[in-house]
Amino acid sequence: MDLNFTSEELAFREEIRDWVGKNLPKDISHKVHNALRLSREDQQGWQKILGKKGWLSYNWPTQFGGPGWNSVQKHLFEEECARAGAPRILPFGPVMVAPVIMAFGNAEQHKRFLPGIASGEVWWSQGYSEPGSGSDLASLKCRAERQGDKYLVNGQKTWTTLGQHGDWIFCLVRTSSDGKPQTGISFLLIDMKSPGITVRPIITMDGEHEVNEVFFDNVEVPAENLIGEENKGWTYAKHLLAHERTNIADVNRAKRELERLKRIAKSEGVYDDVRFRDQIALLEVDIVALEMMVLRVLWAEKSGKQSLDVAGLLKIRGSEIQQRYSELMMLAGGPCTVPYLHEAMEGGWQGDIAIDRFLLPLAGTYFNQRKTTIYGGSNEVQRNIVAQTVLG
Amino acid sequence: MDFEFSDEQEQLRDAVRRWVDKGFGFERRHALAKAGGKTRAVLGELNELGLAGLVVPEAHGGMGFGAVEAMVVMEELGRGLVNAPYAQAALVAPTLLSRAPAALQQAWLPKMAAGEALVVLAQQERSSRYRLDQAATQASEAGGNWKLSGTKVVVPAGDEADAFIVSARVAGAEGVALFAVDKGAAGLELRGYPTQDGARAADLLLANTPATLLTLQGHAALEHAADVAIAALCAEGVGLMDRMVAITVDYMHQRKQFGVALATFQALRHRIADVKMQLELGRSMSYYASLKLGEPPEQRRRALSQAKVQLGNSMRFVGQQCTQIHGGIGVTDEYASSHYFKRMTVIELSFGDTMHHLGEVSARMRDTAGVFA
Repeated sequence: MDLNFTSEELAFREEIRDWVGKNLPKDISHKVHNALRLSREDQQGWQKILGKKGWLSYNWPTQFGGPGWNSVQKHLFEEECARAGAPRILPFGPVMVAPVIMAFGNAEQHKRFLPGIASGEVWWSQGYSEPGSGSDLASLKCRAERQGDKYLVNGQKTWTTLGQHGDWIFCLVRTSSDGKPQTGISFLLIDMKSPGITVRPIITMDGEHEVNEVFFDNVEVPAENLIGEENKGWTYAKHLLAHERTNIADVNRAKRELERLKRIAKSEGVYDDVRFRDQIALLEVDIVALEMMVLRVLWAEKSGKQSLDVAGLLKIRGSEIQQRYSELMMLAGGPCTVPYLHEAMEGGWQGDIAIDRFLLPLAGTYFNQRKTTIYGGSNEVQRNIVAQTVLG
Repeated sequence: MDFEFSDEQEQLRDAVRRWVDKGFGFERRHALAKAGGKTRAVLGELNELGLAGLVVPEAHGGMGFGAVEAMVVMEELGRGLVNAPYAQAALVAPTLLSRAPAALQQAWLPKMAAGEALVVLAQQERSSRYRLDQAATQASEAGGNWKLSGTKVVVPAGDEADAFIVSARVAGAEGVALFAVDKGAAGLELRGYPTQDGARAADLLLANTPATLLTLQGHAALEHAADVAIAALCAEGVGLMDRMVAITVDYMHQRKQFGVALATFQALRHRIADVKMQLELGRSMSYYASLKLGEPPEQRRRALSQAKVQLGNSMRFVGQQCTQIHGGIGVTDEYASSHYFKRMTVIELSFGDTMHHLGEVSARMRDTAGVFA
């Protein structure tokens, strides 16, 4: 037993830190450190910088052009990016769809789709949830009918994160109504410029446009865009979930945000208020405990030992902690977080208001973070899964 | 980074577990507790496994093992609900003696390593709560001879011990000093009593009792020993929780209400998921506690306080919820799980409770945080 990284791992960390320090644009990290709105250009700009270095595909094996890092190296990379204030790598392309294409796509699909994901050129969206299918995803209804060498897609997807920027969308679609709901689902890649697709914004309670509804009206999709076999999509999607791994806990971002919380608490004079400060201290304990749990899982993965049954706990705990720090930041800001100035979320805003700029996004972030215990399998669904491992 | 136990550590774990399985069932434990909680004989059996000298340096006849081995042993003692003062005798006292003059170490450590002497810390007083720098007990010196006067409370295994390490204030000096006191010393009186966790403690009354100076830097030594104790209690807590959860899971499969097993009710399934969460957070922080024991004092103190907060919260949740899930049987004396709950509760009240340590974490907080901060 040993808690220290090896000297190779520490050297690796230095290399990442040095490179990120030199290549992450300051205007972008400023926005991240202050929770300001990131434009499409900010998001994609950073992803392309990583893509050029070969690090956007940081979790890919070398055979597909990834760096072939082990789980600890991936973690250190994520940690350094978070620490420096890099935008979170949008997982849809490199982390979610790419492993499915690699595992179940054919050689032609590898050649066609993977390069654009690795370079950050192509923006991918996720088409899973539907109005009637949230936690009960297998009940999805969006239909794809085979007609010769193409599919005709009709239906609706929803909660499509940043779908307004999407070039492509990977969808779970119903190709059969026979048997169990899970057995009639297929995994289809759809060009979002196809005729018949409409993207409509959903404005969330923070006033932001982050998620969308996507409508499919007789959309023609070439049959060659089907991944693997028809009606096997549910199996592929489960493979994808297995690849969400530890970064779903987002402990690295939590450490950075804890530092920000302390800065805000100091500036607002509550850091020395025992009642408030103890809440921060408790959050600090929670974050250290989460980090230890993440490290245990990373080590289990790296060493190839049987995977720990704690992995399912990470999403629950990580999301609760995200909500907690956003809540405490708002409470630290107090009454000065009440003004709602939509435009103050923009990088260049120069408003005439007697309240420090950094306080203005805090309530919005708090509202926004309510999503974390709902998405990616609600925490109640996660508890069902954990209970299954404990009780059978 | 490595979270694997060595073969030697696994063998140690097996040895303790085998002894528990063979020689320390709940029946025996319950009988010992009912008879007043005297467990020196149990300690003797552990010593036959060679555990008395686990962390005592080899030069003094011990095995010279470290924090991880101690953690392994404590987890298993927790799992077995062993009510002997092992951590006090074999981990806390040697840590304190490591700060003693060579002659005192030579006088006690070999006997402790051989399991012949039981030495325990007598630090708590009626008004000290968890403050290690508090002592109303007075030490006075005349011609190189020290004498102590005062009253210590809840001294672990007090009326079974052979000697005590006593904290006291030296007139005219800052802070507290530590002294070794033999149980047969003049003016020493012990008043033993059973404790909530089926063990035993005592009031220690000292009236001009002769003592040997261990160190004048008592506070630093006590902080070190308290951190060793906290790591041990965290590990014991993990073993306790592990077993209590296993008992509860068994019961959920076995017990039927409304015609179906408790394990089928979603309200209870979610509860057990939350219990599992607290258990694993606790286990993670128990590792953290033991792996941070070798850090410099400031980092060590902060880390151990963080761990005690997590384990305090975890044990309270696991203990309360597993009791609740059981229903009526969970609150009875005849059923093992209530005794796990009580031991966890006493751990909360030992070497600083959750609120005390949250205050420590709060006071020691820095701008950055994390496992490696």
